[in-house]
Amino acid sequence: MVAAPLGLSALAPAALRRMRGRAALAGLSALLVVSIVVAVTIGPAQISAGEVWTVIAHKLGLVADSPVSRLREGIVWELRLPRVLAAAAVGAGLAICGAVMQALTRNPLADPYLLGVSSGAAVGAVSMLLLGATLLLPVGAFLGALAAMALTLGLARAMGAITASRAILAGLAVSALASALTSLLIFWTATGDSYREILSWLMGSLAGTRWTDAALGWAALALIGGPLLTSGRVLDGFVFGDTAARALGIAVDRTRWLMLGGTALLTGVLVAISGAIGFVGLILPHAVRLVCGGRNRDVLPLAALAGAVFMIWADTAARTLFDPRELPVGIVTAMLGAPAFFWVLMRNRRAT
Amino acid sequence: MTGWGFFLLSATLATPALATDYPLTIQNCGTEVTFSAPPQRVVTIKSTATEMLLALGLADRIVGVGFQDGPVPPQWAPTIDLPVLADRVPSQEVVLEAEPDFIYGGWESAFAGDGAGTRDSLDALGVATYVAPTACRAQGAPEKLSFEDVFAQILEMGRIFDVEDRAAALIAEQRAQLAAVEPITGLTGVWYSSATSVPYVGAGLGGPQMTMDALGIANIFADVDDTWTSASWEAIVDEDPDIIILVDAQWNSVEQKIALLNDNPATANLGAVRHNRYLTIPFPAAEPGIRSVQATLDLARQLAGLEF
Repeated sequence: MVAAPLGLSALAPAALRRMRGRAALAGLSALLVVSIVVAVTIGPAQISAGEVWTVIAHKLGLVADSPVSRLREGIVWELRLPRVLAAAAVGAGLAICGAVMQALTRNPLADPYLLGVSSGAAVGAVSMLLLGATLLLPVGAFLGALAAMALTLGLARAMGAITASRAILAGLAVSALASALTSLLIFWTATGDSYREILSWLMGSLAGTRWTDAALGWAALALIGGPLLTSGRVLDGFVFGDTAARALGIAVDRTRWLMLGGTALLTGVLVAISGAIGFVGLILPHAVRLVCGGRNRDVLPLAALAGAVFMIWADTAARTLFDPRELPVGIVTAMLGAPAFFWVLMRNRRAT
Repeated sequence: MTGWGFFLLSATLATPALATDYPLTIQNCGTEVTFSAPPQRVVTIKSTATEMLLALGLADRIVGVGFQDGPVPPQWAPTIDLPVLADRVPSQEVVLEAEPDFIYGGWESAFAGDGAGTRDSLDALGVATYVAPTACRAQGAPEKLSFEDVFAQILEMGRIFDVEDRAAALIAEQRAQLAAVEPITGLTGVWYSSATSVPYVGAGLGGPQMTMDALGIANIFADVDDTWTSASWEAIVDEDPDIIILVDAQWNSVEQKIALLNDNPATANLGAVRHNRYLTIPFPAAEPGIRSVQATLDLARQLAGLEF
């Protein structure tokens, strides 16, 4: 981290932070647009950037004629673009969920997986996969996520008032149960190579993403992620504890239930699209805090943008590194996320 | 020379190579296996293993089968039902209950600790094990599979069971059948085995490549150094193969695959999809083994019926 001259940061820390936050917001927004525009030009098929953008302009009605063949048009419009857009939605959503969870539970290690929601969604998805109801797969994942959320929150409440540690412990129990169920299902029906499909599902993959997936991701981001994104001030009220939050006029229990439920729902939809992708919700909020400080009203939008950019490039790596082979993107995020996670741990140790 | 001496000498000369000398020691996927006599009680895991023994006329030696992928072809169908130990890989106790002296697996994974047991542990119990050499992974894997590897396995089974003459006859018959296949030229293809979002396809070194070479179809994934591989739809659409070979598995049928190909606008525009240029192969025949030659003939017949 670049150390600002002592005098300057002591003089106007709030103004400096605001400036830095605004610059980061503008920079990341621009980076997101550039990432989308560039990522669609990268893939196993050699299609020039000009051709790619012509196809997109043509499909958007900006250009009347497209000289690009139907197959190459299909690669760009049916395979790459929905995938890149879905990656952005998933990355942004996971980062929002992570940031909200960390604030609500006052636990820097919290993320969407903490409540067992991802594992629950995986059980629902794998069940549908094994029943052969491929079309119902998102519904199954969604129902699994809902069930896991209900179980986690129910368990936490049964222990008394929902505190941060109770929610985490309940989530841990549900996660363990859901993982066992998933393993049982796979063990029970590992015929031929259907397990390959399930595995890439559990590790997280955006392969096979369609426009419906991208639309689902963006709809969830708008409907659930949007309200969470604007809740920074409320979350900032939680920073100094429940009593302090109550003193600020926040209905602590109701707000926590509502927001935990929101993150669980959003995670469920995202897992339905991409499988259980790890580390995004954990790492990006921390990375953002390094740059712009810990205020949630600053962290949330930046984490969402950073998550989208991160996910686009992680998935671009997943689909091109071993061309023509595909790699589950969860492996990429873990490879990049785990070292970053260690670094966050070491940093926190020094700071405390 | 006494009469007896002459008789023994002439008997040895009459069948010089075809009788197996026991104990017989072979190297199999990096494991040394010794047979003191022809196996009498055999458990087979995977259809390829079962069908190999049936083709060699050894149905009466089979005391149990596991992980069968589909029905046995009529010409080898046993007169009595073979005892099924498990729908998938049977556990060690289930296998041992059948009291085998030999376990023949089509995949290396049959001999995992949570499967029939590790090869070492079975050896310690006096049970010989064998993995189809075409499916060796870590050690003993053929560099690039050819029909010679398939024939070598038939011959090795013949030696193990002391039925080398039958094995030789089978190989001669299959060689003649294979020689009748006229490879075509100028067409590309993809061998679509299974999976939906990340298609599992035939790569450059395994059974699919062997069969496509014989048919004269250029595999679009021939450059991938593996037997099968997880590919991407983008790579397939980019190559726009002339022909798609579809594996018909119970859990992922040809109908499901065609519906999927038609469903995504990107793959629906593939030439092979628009013109229905599909070849189909049943899953048990799609793994290299005793059915490979027959499957190649069958695919060649289907290929001749396609219009371009």
